[in-house]
Amino acid sequence: MSNRLIRTASVAALTLSAALLLSACSSSAPEDSADASGASEAAGTIVITDNHGEVEVPVDPATVVALDNTSFDTLEEWGVELAAVPKGVMGSAWPGYTDNEDVADVGNHREPNLEVIVAEQPDLIIGGYRFGDYYDQIKEQNPQAAVIEIAPREGEDQFEELKRQTEILGQIFDREDDAAALNDGLDAAIAGAKEAYNGTDTVMAVNTSAGQIGYLAPVVGRGLGPVFPALGWQPALEVEGATDDHQGDDINVEAIADSNPDWIVALDRDAAFAPEDREAGSEPADELLTNSEALQNVTAVQQDRIVILDPNFYLTEGIQAYTELFGQLEEAFSAA
Amino acid sequence: MSREPAATPRGSDVGASARESGRPDGRARDARRAGGPGRPGSPVVRGSGSAPQGVHAARGIVAVGGTRPVAPEIAPPKRRPWALAIAILVVLGLLVASLAIGVYDIAGSDFGSEMFWITRVPRTLALVLAGAAMATSGLVMQMLTQNRFVDATTSGTTEWAALGLLLTALLLPDTGLFGKMVIASCFAFVGAMLFMLILRRIVIRTTLVVPLIGIMLGAIVSSFTTFLAAQFNLLQMLGTWFMGSFTAVVRGRYEVLWVVAVVTLLVFLMADRITVAGLGKDVATSVGVRYEAILIGGTALVAVAAGVTTVVVGFLPLLGLVVPNMVSMIRGDNVRSNLPWVCLGGIALVVACDLVGRTIIMPFEIPVSMVLGLVGAVVFITLLLRQRRAV
Repeated sequence: MSNRLIRTASVAALTLSAALLLSACSSSAPEDSADASGASEAAGTIVITDNHGEVEVPVDPATVVALDNTSFDTLEEWGVELAAVPKGVMGSAWPGYTDNEDVADVGNHREPNLEVIVAEQPDLIIGGYRFGDYYDQIKEQNPQAAVIEIAPREGEDQFEELKRQTEILGQIFDREDDAAALNDGLDAAIAGAKEAYNGTDTVMAVNTSAGQIGYLAPVVGRGLGPVFPALGWQPALEVEGATDDHQGDDINVEAIADSNPDWIVALDRDAAFAPEDREAGSEPADELLTNSEALQNVTAVQQDRIVILDPNFYLTEGIQAYTELFGQLEEAFSAA
Repeated sequence: MSREPAATPRGSDVGASARESGRPDGRARDARRAGGPGRPGSPVVRGSGSAPQGVHAARGIVAVGGTRPVAPEIAPPKRRPWALAIAILVVLGLLVASLAIGVYDIAGSDFGSEMFWITRVPRTLALVLAGAAMATSGLVMQMLTQNRFVDATTSGTTEWAALGLLLTALLLPDTGLFGKMVIASCFAFVGAMLFMLILRRIVIRTTLVVPLIGIMLGAIVSSFTTFLAAQFNLLQMLGTWFMGSFTAVVRGRYEVLWVVAVVTLLVFLMADRITVAGLGKDVATSVGVRYEAILIGGTALVAVAAGVTTVVVGFLPLLGLVVPNMVSMIRGDNVRSNLPWVCLGGIALVVACDLVGRTIIMPFEIPVSMVLGLVGAVVFITLLLRQRRAV
């Protein structure tokens, strides 16, 4: 216990000090959460179309609250200061926000502390994704704010949606060139990964959690589903009616062995919150797959064609995460 | 000092008989199987022809005059070896099916025989061990608490085991499987003992209060577990861990389950004492059984079974409830002669449920606990309704 605490604390302290050093230029002036902020500072407003319709949003808003994990990478990259974030679902992916005392904590999406948002009196709230259920509540409680949801919608093309999200953020924060660059980067990464794939190898996407392997269905599966159509992958196992929940379907190693995929791409759901030393009950995905006796004859295992996603992918899932993922896939597939 | 009712005639007003018998802790033997001719019973049944007759052919002892107290519920039923043989054959058939059914083509590929030993055999063995252990520990629990509706899941015992497991993961992440099992079993023991203590402290007016207390205890403990998991972002792991499922059972991941085989064996050895303890403290003491020792020993066995199964496969709901009740509905309450049946029943039920879960959405699987929960709930409610009718 104490060991872990000390470790976590020291790691936190290190990252914090590093973050402070790095952000020395941006002096941490205390956020004045009074009503003084707002229209006077904003350089006018624009009208954007979010998942619910048209919303009038201040350009370069002074006080911003973001709840949508898929937007954090972009916001951090552009140095957008946030007044409050849900630290409970951010792991250690964005220490710049989570370790900063000035950034208030909304908690997690299961039991969010929505009053924290109200207290900040934000001009803009980027909601949605895990916080989609609270849209009406947040809107009601924050009449002064523009509340937008721009996370990828279900049933739409994941990557077009990510680009749309980035574009909207670019318009709001007056970073349209940067947004275009991000979108071009994603397109290039997809093209590269597609180029590297030979068109015939069969691929299976799985997730792992607590030593169990779950199956992620093409198209609808969490995180990796959309990659199949984007790259034209041949699924090793295609079944009607696979679920699209984030758990994936329970699948026996026999079924994986039987479908004999040439490639296995794995999303390790425990990795984001795992300590340095993984618990015995939650083997990391690569161990789980390569040490499995039942899978020893599978092409993917024999030829070491296993791609494990970035540990934080389950938390990020934004345009940068996918760009990185496609880069990783391109590298893996071209090496084979 | 009043005598313990040696037998509550089936279908009598239990609460009344308990109150009349004036036991200090007010615990009642719960209503026996319904359907007998209810006789508002004097608490002490002397052999005056009052023993219900002709309801269960399996019950051999019928009181015929005299002043001997009789307990028809715990008389060993007539031996019918052929019935047991048929049951064993049925279970063996199920096991063969379990060995034969799976996604991988065992017969038709070079790797088939290897796969058979890697996945099929371990899974089938795990089913046998877990099924037998959970069913027998349910039986023990029911005898010790003198209540039909208690087993590891309705007394909060498994929730305690889960809490122990989660705390181990949080505080001692480097603990191996065996250490986890020990800690989970210790927690389960504490939980089961706490349950027993609470039962002694309160006046129980109806048999249904007992499982309700257990379920409440379990709910409190599991909400604490969930809270901890939410705090430390382990919720998803919690779900995977405790979802009773044999999907991930492969060679090298189930061997610790053999511990519960020892537990089942010990229950066999203690069977008669458990039967006597099931008649209550007064009776047990008067025939020379150390009641407290049996209580603690039996609880320890249940705790180990619950702890180990929870760590290896997760929650197996209601298994310990359904099987012993079905068996005693048919055969009465003699633990020793019922044990083989309870073991077989437990194995048969869990294997059958797992087969359903394995085949219904092939190549994917439905966790066995879901199927068990459905079956168990139906049986549980049937039990309740039958009891209601009888009273």
